[in-house]
Amino acid sequence: MTSSELIQIAAGLIGSLCFGILFNMRGKRLIAAAVGGLLSWGLFVVLSNFVSSEPINYFIVAAVVSLYSEIMARALKTPAAPVVTTSLIPLIPGGSLYYTMASAFESNFTTFLEKAVSTLKLACALALGIIVVTAISQFMFSRVKQK
Amino acid sequence: MEKLLDSVMDIGEQMLINGGEVHKVEDSIKRIFSAYGTKRTDVFIITSSIVVTIHTDDKAYTQTRRITETSTDYEKLHKLNELSRSICKNKYSDNEIRKQLTAISMSKKYPLWLEFICYAIIAGVFTLFFGGGTIEAAVSFIIGALVRFVILLCDKTVKNKIFSKFVSAFIATSLAFIALRLDFIETVDKVIIGNIMTLIPGIGLTTALKDLLVGDSIAGLLRTIEACITALAIAAGYFAVAFITGGAI
Repeated sequence: MTSSELIQIAAGLIGSLCFGILFNMRGKRLIAAAVGGLLSWGLFVVLSNFVSSEPINYFIVAAVVSLYSEIMARALKTPAAPVVTTSLIPLIPGGSLYYTMASAFESNFTTFLEKAVSTLKLACALALGIIVVTAISQFMFSRVKQK
Repeated sequence: MEKLLDSVMDIGEQMLINGGEVHKVEDSIKRIFSAYGTKRTDVFIITSSIVVTIHTDDKAYTQTRRITETSTDYEKLHKLNELSRSICKNKYSDNEIRKQLTAISMSKKYPLWLEFICYAIIAGVFTLFFGGGTIEAAVSFIIGALVRFVILLCDKTVKNKIFSKFVSAFIATSLAFIALRLDFIETVDKVIIGNIMTLIPGIGLTTALKDLLVGDSIAGLLRTIEACITALAIAAGYFAVAFITGGAI
């Protein structure tokens, strides 16, 4: 791991922690979200050695972090969605949104389309990753309950 | 029954306001009424409105709630969730629910200065995240705190979220540009990206897509449009500065 990757992972942790505070999360739930931030970018960095496609990497990370959040949510008796959304903060494509805007301003439409499509792809991959896990865990949980 | 409906509507309303998901809120309301043994419960929720009709043996009651503003508060959401679970278990009277709701509405918030610091840290840290240097991060840190101040001013005066995003993006971009002119930093993009992270509707868009894919089409569409307009407002703030400075950004 290079030093810039370590900085990014630390930034993921601090970013999720601060967003957690902005969303008024407290105690163990705040810690769970911050650790989720660390997990999400750490995993992304590790996986990018093996997975070349960024959206697919996003999908895997989103799925794993959702699973983590579902487990944390059950353990802390709280809804999973707040933990998921705060944990996945480092994956929000802010940079690619900026470059989309910048290329639109420069009337550079090839770059604009490319960046816009990649922003959308990343957002979709993120959402899909979350949904797959949420759907499965709801199904499993209701099955366990019925028994 | 009517009073009970009133209190439960308040729970649903508060859940939505504090950042609950549409299908989760629908589910909670249905569960509560089925615990009280109503014959049938019809719930329709979109991000800005709740409609509930409950049917008892001889009568039907309907109430609606209009939700105009939302502010994410996961502490309240957590407590509301706990409350709705314990209602299903203990079948509180409507007075009891009312009491608990008041207690929840008084729940603690972090002090305002901490929010300023968080905005500053988020902006600074994401400048580093996207490859900025230490000085850029420091500039971004200061701008982040100022952006929170701008949002505070907007909340006090115009009370329009879209406009407030536009102004925030405008101020953040201008300050970054001034810092560039004063030779504090060499490029503005990392500083602007750091500050965009505090404004971006990233969570909004993800929730929107989630709603759509889960089947809450209307709520999902509303959220998608909201997220797109917010993104456009941020872009407009950036464009305004870019035009004024003649694209020197």
